[in-house]
This record gives sequence, C-alpha cells and structure tokens, in this order.
Amino acid sequence: MRKITVLLTVLALVLALCAPAAYAEEEGLLTTAVLYDITTMDAAHTTDNYLVPMNVFDRLFETRLVDGTGQVVNSLCADFSVSEDGLTYDFTLRDGIVFSNGSALTASDVQFTFERLLTIADQNTDIPLEVVGGEAMMKGEAKSLEGFNVKDDTHFSITLNAPNAGFLAELSAPAMSIVDAETMGAQFGVEPADTIGTGPYAVTEWVVNDHYTLEYNPRYWGEAPSVRKLIVRVIPDANTQNLMFQNGELDLIDLASLDSAIVESTYKVNYPDQIVSTPMVGVVYLSMNENQAFLKDVQVRKAIGAAIDSDTIISSIYNGNAVREQGIIPTGVWGHNSELKSFTYDPDAARKILQDAGYQDGSISFELSMDSSADSNIQLVYQFISQQLKAVGINATVKTYDHASWLALRNAGEMDSFVARWGMDYNDPANIMYTFFGNAQNSAIRSQNYPDTEIMARVAAASAIIDDAEREAEYQALEKKIICEDAAWVPMFTTLHLYCIGNRVQSFTPQWAGFTDFYAADVTLK
Amino acid sequence: MTHTIFRRFLQALAVLLGVALLLFIMLRIVPGNPVATMMGEHANQETIDRMTAELGLDQPIHIQFFRYIGDAFRGEFGTSYSLKRPVSQLMGAAFGNTLKLALAASLFAWILGIVCGVLAAVRKDGIPDRLFMGFSLLGVSMPVFMVAMLLQYLFAYHLHWLPISGTDSWKGYILPAVALGWNSAGSIARLVRSTLLDILQEDYIDTARAKGLGQIRVILRHGLRNTMLPVITMMAIQFSGLLSGAVITETIFSINGIGRLAVQAISGRDIPLLQGTTLFSTLVVILGNFLADSLYTVLDPRIRKEK
Repeated sequence: MRKITVLLTVLALVLALCAPAAYAEEEGLLTTAVLYDITTMDAAHTTDNYLVPMNVFDRLFETRLVDGTGQVVNSLCADFSVSEDGLTYDFTLRDGIVFSNGSALTASDVQFTFERLLTIADQNTDIPLEVVGGEAMMKGEAKSLEGFNVKDDTHFSITLNAPNAGFLAELSAPAMSIVDAETMGAQFGVEPADTIGTGPYAVTEWVVNDHYTLEYNPRYWGEAPSVRKLIVRVIPDANTQNLMFQNGELDLIDLASLDSAIVESTYKVNYPDQIVSTPMVGVVYLSMNENQAFLKDVQVRKAIGAAIDSDTIISSIYNGNAVREQGIIPTGVWGHNSELKSFTYDPDAARKILQDAGYQDGSISFELSMDSSADSNIQLVYQFISQQLKAVGINATVKTYDHASWLALRNAGEMDSFVARWGMDYNDPANIMYTFFGNAQNSAIRSQNYPDTEIMARVAAASAIIDDAEREAEYQALEKKIICEDAAWVPMFTTLHLYCIGNRVQSFTPQWAGFTDFYAADVTLK
Repeated sequence: MTHTIFRRFLQALAVLLGVALLLFIMLRIVPGNPVATMMGEHANQETIDRMTAELGLDQPIHIQFFRYIGDAFRGEFGTSYSLKRPVSQLMGAAFGNTLKLALAASLFAWILGIVCGVLAAVRKDGIPDRLFMGFSLLGVSMPVFMVAMLLQYLFAYHLHWLPISGTDSWKGYILPAVALGWNSAGSIARLVRSTLLDILQEDYIDTARAKGLGQIRVILRHGLRNTMLPVITMMAIQFSGLLSGAVITETIFSINGIGRLAVQAISGRDIPLLQGTTLFSTLVVILGNFLADSLYTVLDPRIRKEK
C-alpha cells in the first residue's frame, strides 16, 4: 500500500511539473473560439463564413450601428450619386488605398469583383445579376459586365436592370468584399498568402479544424485597431470553450455557443459587467408547407399561430434573452413594422378555429422536421411547439434528420413544417421578403409553396420603388397580407446575441448583423 | 509463411473492395444531395445542376464507381467538397494527430492495465486486487466523455496543471490520452488478471517455483509471457480502433483528428472526404488485425509449428 502511495505521489509531482506557465498575454492579442471551422475565406463561396471577409476585406459600404440603428456608411466608396431614374450609380473610390500586399485598389478591382461572382456562378450571384448584362455574363454569353463602366482608377458607374432602393445596402453584404484583380492567387480563399484584402487585418495562418490567425495590416487605410492579432481557435465542444474562458485562455466568448442554463448560472452571476449584447437581426419562424394535406388550409395555419406561445419560449427557453417578432421584417431592419400584431397566444381560440373548420380533435397531423445540427435551444423550441400543438388537438411529431438529409428534404419542397432562423445579410427588407416570398422557386426550396403569385410579383417589384415612404408602405402591406391574412409563416422571436469579454478587453461593441461574426476592430483591449 | 501473407493480403483486398462498394452504394442511397449541402442556403437549382456536372456526379453510376476505385488505389481521393483541399492533405494532417493520441492512449492503457492486472492477480482478494478491479470496473463502465470532462475540470481548469484543450505541446496529449486509454486500461487489467490467475494454477508454474525461481521471475517470465497472448490481440485491436478515430475525445479536447474529419464529412455529405476517411479507417483496422495475428505467431511457438 505504501508503494502505491509513493507511486501516486510521484505521479502528482510529475503532473505538477507539467503545469503550464502563466497564460501568454501577448500585447494586442485577442483570442476567441468558434464551434466550427470556416470552410473558406472567400466570400464568393460562402453564405456564413464571414469572419475573414469582414476583417480582411472591405466593401464599398458597410452597415454599422449609428445611434443604435443600422445605417449604411461609406467604406471604400468616398462618394456616390444616383441618376433620377434610379438606374445608374456613379461611384468615387477613396484615394490611395492599397491591398495588404501593396497592390493599389482601383475601379477595375471592383469591376473584377462583380464579374468574378458571375463567372464562378456559385452562391452569391443575386447582387451582380441586378446589373445590366449580368444574366448574359453568367451564362457565358458576354465577357464583361455591360452595365459596369470604369471611367478611371477611382471612378466608375453601375447601371441596374431596374431601380433598387436597397442597392447600397446590398453592397455592404459580406459577399460584396472587394478583391484584387491583379494579384489574386490561385488558392484565393484557401491559402492565407493568396487571400489578400484591403481590410484592417491580413490572414497569416489557417490550420484546418484547429485555428486561424489574423494580424494587423500596416497598410490599412483606416484607423489602426486596438487588436493587433486575432487568433480564432476551433473548439467544437461548448463546455471546453466555457472552461477556457473562465481559465483566461479566451478573451472573448460567444455565449450563443453555450447552453442558456450555463449562461444564466455562470456568466450572468460571475461576469455580469462583462456581458455585451446586440439583437441578432433576424427572425426565428415556423415554416408551414402549403402543399401539405392539412397545412394548405389557412384556418389550420391560423390555429397553429394562435397555439404557439412565443412569449413563454422567450422567457423559459431563452431566459428572456430574445425579442418577440410579429412579422417578416425583423426589428432593426429598415421597414420593420413595430405596430404589426400577427399571432396572439390563445389556445381556446385555436381550438375554436379548428372546430369551426370541421376538424376533430387529433385529426390533424404533420411532421416537424428538425435538423440535428440545430442548437440545443432550438431543439427545445421544437419540443415545446409540438406539446403546445398537441394541447389544441394537433399532432405535430418532431422527427430529426442529419443536416444534409434535412436540407435535401426541404429543398425538394416536401418538408411539412420546420423551425429555422433567418439572419439578415444587409439592412433592407428585400433580403428576407424576396428570399422567402419573391417567387415560386424561392418559396418551393424552402418548402413553403406559398401559392399567391400576385403577391410574390408585388414582393419582387417592391425593391424597385424609389420613394422610401411608398416602398416601406408596400412592404408592410405585403407583410400584413402574408402573415396576418394568409398565415404563411409563424414569426416568433429573435435572440439577443450575447458575448462575454475577458479581463484583457476594455470594451466591445458588436455590430449590426444577422450573422454571428464580428469585426475585431470593434474590440478595444486594455 | 509467404503463402499465409499472400492469403492475408488477398483477404484484406477483398475486405477493402467490399467496404468501398458498400460505401459507394450507401452514399448514393442515403438522402441528402452533396452539392446542395455544399452550396448552402442561397444556391438555386441551376447552380446546383452546374456544380453536379462539374464534379462528375451526373455521370452514370458505374463510371463513377470505377473512377472512384481507380483513384482510391492510387491513393487519390480527390478534393474535399467543403474544404476545397486535397483529401490526402487533410487526412495527413489529421492522422498525425490521431496517431500521436492513439500511441499515447495505448501506452497509458497498456502500462496501467498490465501493471494493475498483474498486481491484482498476485494479490488476489487483497487490497490491491479490490482497489484495481474497482478502478478497472470504473474504467470499463464510465463513458469516455465523462472521464474526459472530469479530467479536464480537475487537472486543467481547477489545478491548472495541463492545458484544457489543443495539442500545441506534448502536455496537450496527456489528458486526452488518459481519457481515451482509461477504458482500454480497465479491459486490459481485467483480462490480464483473469488470464494470469488461470496460468498461475498451471503445473509448469509449480515446477518453476519448485526449481527455486523467485516470485517475480515466475510471474514475469512464466506467467506474464503466457498471459500476453490474448492480451496482445486485445491491445492490437484496441490500437487500430483508436487509430481510426476517437470522435468524442478529439471533440472535447479540440484535436483535429481523423474521427472529427469523418464526422464533418458525414454531416456535410462531403463524398471525397468521407470515402477517404472510411477507406483509411478500414485499412488501419485490417492492418491492426494483421499485426495482432503476426505478433501471436511470434509470441507462441506452437502456432508457428502448426503453420
């Protein structure tokens, strides 16, 4: 027994010798973590890996919080004017801007960025397709974009097929990150050395599934950021992230990665003054397929809307860290209608609607299809909705699919119903209205199969209304028709995006966005 | 001997081909369009169709299969759909980490399992026996994620002795190795104990003792050596299992290993990456079994003679 004691003591001593030195505190270093690695650094090939595009590249405009609201502000664009018919935009670039490798930014780079999106024809073609000649170029019928006219190194104009009042907001989307036509490497988006932008940082390292590093770009045209080096570690386990933050190994943690119970019990108790938050500009909604046997009946959809208690979801599942959404256009987006009242929780009314429509208790059934990669809170939302619908006599069975199967079923237009979140890429209602209700194809690949073609045509046409007040009124009228009359969607809430800053961080102001990535330049270190 | 090796090679080839065929069929049967998954939320049908053609996924199924088998035999698994890098490059980086983790976990399991098993057998029903068998029961019954989280909390978070995650230095491998090896150590300890107890009843052990050999020599030379036959088989199979990936441990300790890569490939329907990781894991298990059989032959002269 004595020998065992000695052995254990020796083991303990060896482990004690392993004790790491105090955690390195390199000046200007910010370390944070993500659950999943990025798959690309090229904004043209992604709709969610935005951290590198946002920090390494610039756009002509950015959407930033100004006095608490999202505003489109100039970035690489110094000045612009719009023709009276709203079709032609004249832009002037800022003088003297260079990419991180020293190559000068010119109007040809902007043209190349637009044309590249059409040439590779991947995921982000919507915006350049609005330019005259976009369709021809994407089909390979033209070698250059007819509506893009380069006048000199800093002046160019863009002519659109139709007026679009949200065009400048669209140019602030991460997909519109400006790339260098002259020095773009073959491994752009994959190899750090080839991924060159004009932003405040340059990528210096990317070890897949481990970490990537961004370092200050000394050629950056704007104010030098406090964070000189950003290390983003890929930590796929939320509990590990939690321990690392508490151990001082992370300077910033995205609390959306953690279970809300841990946020309440640990972070709100131990770090109440270090939590910063911003609304995720988007909406969590229940989608209903109008091709489904029961869901095609508007009375059933209205009953479902009345049976779901979004306020309880917010208070019980999200511990109050969410905001009620009544419509399609989320809070914080231009055109949002704060007066809109869509669904009010009233289970008795829901039962009555179903009885009046001739449905017996338990006669309605459909599937609530859940993506297995959904976060734990959304998984609870599914269970909660299923129970609430059961309480009014609707059998909504939750069935889980792996992500690829879920996406395939949804894209086929055959998914009965699901809960999902849409985050805004830019501050314009078209980003969400057109995506979901702009045409039959958009509606079908989201398994909605909204049948009103007239309304969809009006949604598509709304972006061309130049007068702001008229456009806002049209979007709000359409929203009212789609949600309140047709009950095509059940909008529920949007979450607050909470971060916790570590002891080395002085301040952090999260940006306006519907996605989770952030600007490292928004962090000030002590 | 040459005949045996040749036969085993053919068997391995047949297993590999079988797995490759099954994998190919299953990937085409399960729901989920790899291109749609890769292209994400904003892709329209035209783009999906164009990309499907570019990747050759619109080709007749038999052409796809023969191309895939031909490439696989050349060690070419193509480019990952999601990560846009050669699969061999991704697997190379991940396998290095998995190999280090598997070696460290196996060493821990072997040493701890054999030492505890021997001590428990020698002191049967004594305190060491009860203590070690209690621990081994814990090892066998405690899930890896639980051991991992406990170790992480105690040694990394609370005592600050070791890193919470990552493999920046050798210290980063200690906790994952213990978490992963803990279960194997329990199995090995129980097997060593029971086999050694049986062997210690054999006549040749009494003979060795009658010849005046000391307890340690009797146990190490005559007892343990014969005990190792089934133990080595278990060790080799466990090792090859560890080499084919340890998803939970890799996830908790943020190690970029084969297991995580395989899961990533499955959820993203990344066909080249999935084919690469699966065939590689199959090969590793086949080699592990082959190694176990070979060691068996080396350790047991009777088997050599039979052959």
